[in-house]
Amino acid sequence: MQNSKFLSALFAAGITFVLACLMIGVKLDTEGTELAVTGATAEQWTWIGLGIGLVFLSQLFSNQIDAFFGKLPKPKLGGLLPEEKKRAALKPWLLAALIVGMLVWPFMVSRGAVDLATLTLIYIMLGLGLNIVVGLAGLLDLGFVAFYAVGAYTYALLSMYFGLSFWMCLPISAGLAALFGFLLGFPVLRLRGDYLAIVTLGFGEIIRILLNNWTELTNGPSGISGIPKPTLFGLEFTRRAKEEGAQTFHDFMGISYSSSYKVIFLYLIAVLLVIFVIYLINRLMRMPIGRAWEALREDEIACRSLGLNRTTIKLSAFTLGASTAGFAGSFFAARQGFISPESFIFIESAIILAIVVLGGMGSQIGVILAAIVMTILPELAREFAEYRMLLFGLLMVVMMRWRPEGLVPMKRPHLELKS
Amino acid sequence: MKRFTKKLLTLSSAIALAGAVSAAQADTLKIGLAGPATGPVAQYGDMQKIGVMAAIKDINAAGGINGMKLEGVIYDDACDPKQAVAVANKIVNDGIQHVVGHLCSSSTEPASDIYEEEGVLMITAASTSPSITEKGYQLVFRTIGLDSLQGTLAASYIIDKAQPERIAIIHDKQQYGEGLATTVRNVLEGEGMQPVMFEGVTAGDKDFSALIAKLKKENVDFVYYGGYHPELGLILRQSREKGFDAQFMGPEGIVNSDLAKIAGEAAEGVLATAPKSFDQNPVNQARVEAIKANGEDPTGPFVFTAYAAVELMKSAIEKTGGTDPEAMADHIRANPLDTAIGKVSYDKKGDLTESTFQVYSLHKDGSKSPVK
Amino acid sequence: MTETLLYLIQQLINGLTIGSTYALIAIGYTMVYGIIGMINFAHGEIYMIGSYVTFIVIAGLLGMGMVSLPIILIIALVVAVFIASTYGWTVERVAYRPLRGSNRLIPLISAIGMSIFLQNYVVLAQGSRDVALPPQITGGWTFGDPAVFEVSFSYMQALIWGATFVTMTALTLFISRSRMGRACRACSEDLGMTNLLGIDTNRTIALTFIIGAALAAVAGLLLGLYYGVVNPFVGFIAGLKAFTAAVLGGIGSIPGAVLGGLVLGVTEALTSAYFPSEYKDVVSFGLLVLILLFRPSGLLGKPEVEKV
Repeated sequence: MQNSKFLSALFAAGITFVLACLMIGVKLDTEGTELAVTGATAEQWTWIGLGIGLVFLSQLFSNQIDAFFGKLPKPKLGGLLPEEKKRAALKPWLLAALIVGMLVWPFMVSRGAVDLATLTLIYIMLGLGLNIVVGLAGLLDLGFVAFYAVGAYTYALLSMYFGLSFWMCLPISAGLAALFGFLLGFPVLRLRGDYLAIVTLGFGEIIRILLNNWTELTNGPSGISGIPKPTLFGLEFTRRAKEEGAQTFHDFMGISYSSSYKVIFLYLIAVLLVIFVIYLINRLMRMPIGRAWEALREDEIACRSLGLNRTTIKLSAFTLGASTAGFAGSFFAARQGFISPESFIFIESAIILAIVVLGGMGSQIGVILAAIVMTILPELAREFAEYRMLLFGLLMVVMMRWRPEGLVPMKRPHLELKS
Repeated sequence: MKRFTKKLLTLSSAIALAGAVSAAQADTLKIGLAGPATGPVAQYGDMQKIGVMAAIKDINAAGGINGMKLEGVIYDDACDPKQAVAVANKIVNDGIQHVVGHLCSSSTEPASDIYEEEGVLMITAASTSPSITEKGYQLVFRTIGLDSLQGTLAASYIIDKAQPERIAIIHDKQQYGEGLATTVRNVLEGEGMQPVMFEGVTAGDKDFSALIAKLKKENVDFVYYGGYHPELGLILRQSREKGFDAQFMGPEGIVNSDLAKIAGEAAEGVLATAPKSFDQNPVNQARVEAIKANGEDPTGPFVFTAYAAVELMKSAIEKTGGTDPEAMADHIRANPLDTAIGKVSYDKKGDLTESTFQVYSLHKDGSKSPVK
Repeated sequence: MTETLLYLIQQLINGLTIGSTYALIAIGYTMVYGIIGMINFAHGEIYMIGSYVTFIVIAGLLGMGMVSLPIILIIALVVAVFIASTYGWTVERVAYRPLRGSNRLIPLISAIGMSIFLQNYVVLAQGSRDVALPPQITGGWTFGDPAVFEVSFSYMQALIWGATFVTMTALTLFISRSRMGRACRACSEDLGMTNLLGIDTNRTIALTFIIGAALAAVAGLLLGLYYGVVNPFVGFIAGLKAFTAAVLGGIGSIPGAVLGGLVLGVTEALTSAYFPSEYKDVVSFGLLVLILLFRPSGLLGKPEVEKV
């Protein structure tokens, strides 16, 4: 036993050596116009050696390490919550406290933190939208960013060409994104699994390329700048009113100007939008249509045998998810003040999907937690400078291994028979 | 006691104030360095970093500014507009009032909104999009010439000197490349020269054989390419293989020793508009040596523009006697300065009044020589 | 022959070459998918690593004064296949095996994480700049009247066509004839049952990943030589295109992957030839949607039978 353990550890160390020797150990360089290779420095070789040693030891003592980690209690988020009955009683209070907390919080922290929170809220909205499609209805969508782009560009273009305000554009963006979702969904929803995934991916790319190429309308790769920020009943959050006759917030309130009001105001709008979306989806999930989504995900054939129209069900999920992305998109445009097609690339779709999967598909709390994790992590990792994205990728792998069922797996209200 | 209250304010993050306090009291002045440290364009971020760090090292070695040492703080925006906004907010948050960056125009644009609002002086060493300085911002400058100047120069060279029969304009569908290509086309059309093709390629593509066959069929004898060296390098290399030998011309973005590495022989004789190469300038001799001694590459196009950005800040601090961004901005705008990239003077918008672009001929060993 | 015709022939040659490059990578995708039903998002990254290793070996050997090109290429191929296979194996071991049996989206996300990781790992190890290799295999055939339009077909292009055809045939034979191939097919039918029958499924799946990675390395070598340029980000774009090709042809089918790649490549070339080339991706994705509408399982894919 010990012997085979040793051999496998040796094997792992050998593999690590092979992985490292050519990629880290040798560097391609150009001398003049000739390509040449240079060996790594002694320091780098020491690091490689250390890495190999580490892998060897961790494999050799993997049993002990596993045993050690086995002893550590696995975090059970469910266990932290009180009993079912108590929870029901506590819930409204908790919710109220949470909402009040979210509203008061930005006044106490720094501007950067509020801004980051706003970004997180955008991802929460996106995650919740995709959650309907992937988590609830079980349709793999790799091009979700297309609807996000549609929402963002709707607001940007309408405000640029027609001077429409953010509040006017918000429903229009959602509506237009929903329309796109409907138009795409209609033909492709009879595809299964991965075929659907690739078609949505293609659709996402088509939208991005069209935005990039249609320079006359969208300004192409230069993007659209100077997108106005939302106003509070016509009050602007700028130092000086942009339009004639408009009033700024600080003039109206008779307080001195501070730019953090704008950041906080944006944050508060995001909070309201998120609460609205959560409420809406929560209601929908309890309506027949919500049940139908999940039924379809669990067993499509059974669903059809029971007389449910799968096209309607899938389309509704697709359309609703898209409209949420449209919402998030127009808010994103307002927060950025500048959008260009490069904000809507494929990796964005992948990250939103990762949020949904990491959260535990279908679970709203999970998606919210995962969105927080996925937006805050890269920011925290800023300390690691160029190692930032490396760690981000690694963490995605580690988190999936750590909790394959998601942070907070979805739970349905259900009864258990106790025998 | 008063200082204590001030410290408290810092802690409670009264942002603007915190910045002023910490900047005024510290013996080190932090300079934000915003640009991509990760992602596909990280190599350009490196150039900017090399320039800024070299400038800071030189200034500190000479005793700092008014006894203050400089410190460069790197912020990675990965050239992602969304992260650029987060970075700008973080810079404001950290109380930094002087920024060199950002790099990509699409990041600079949303970030400059924030800097202008928050009273942060921003000098970009690489963003060439005209719209950045069109908003009338007071605190936004650049140490690099505008796209439109370069495009006009290229177009007039094509009309006066090259006089091609059939010209094609190709660009990479990015802000920089398409902007330049459009300028060139507009000027040419204004002079009555009609390009036979005006087309975009996809940045990051590797295969341009279809495009080259098309150029060949159209009997194009001159190609203006708006974009960067990786794509043009491949286009040249594949043109050579396919026996298509038109004259190529490009903007500053193709002037990179990597072009010759990718294209090999085919890079010989390619024309390019570029500013004077700063690393060849005798003024920068010592700096180039110092950077080389550090194991870094001084030849990148943004190294000395970034270096000059720090020099501008230094002189403004010395002359105004403080670090107030608005006073510094006024000073920079009003007073021309001799820097690593030559004499720098600004117009009202914050653009260089004279940027000295010139037509060069590139060679297969990576060097270039001016075209008379 | 008229100019129009010669031009069309040239563009078809170009398209088939681009298509072959997609096909080479797509075969690896389709292998893994066919066996375990999962998209290996890190496949493009393995291809990129294969290219890097090729460059390192070639530059190293040239630097040591070796001159015989065939020997250099063979050594480069062997080393690239070996190293890339090791990476493929490790990806399977780290990002797939521990997650087998969970929801099928979970490995997808961990593979995306792996892809981000590998990309940044290479950036850190080798820098993000383009690395270029001078042309090694030059020359080719030309035909047509130079005064009208000269069609060129290079040796390198021929090599890529040949390699694609050979790998496709070899793999199809391997899957249908060999003992290991039979085990692979058994795994794709029913993993649990195969295990019960005494076949080491872990080993079979690991082997699939290794073969997929080896193919990616072959593609990395050929495309590295053909384009002469590599950077850490080539894998992502190539992977996306190859994935599209694999689905277009019917994912899981090896001839399908090749057919899908060729259709995609020819579409791109012809779009570039007769329309502004910035729309080539729109047209090829549009074509994909259209084909899947009429053949929901791709060109050569087996229609899925729904079982209750």
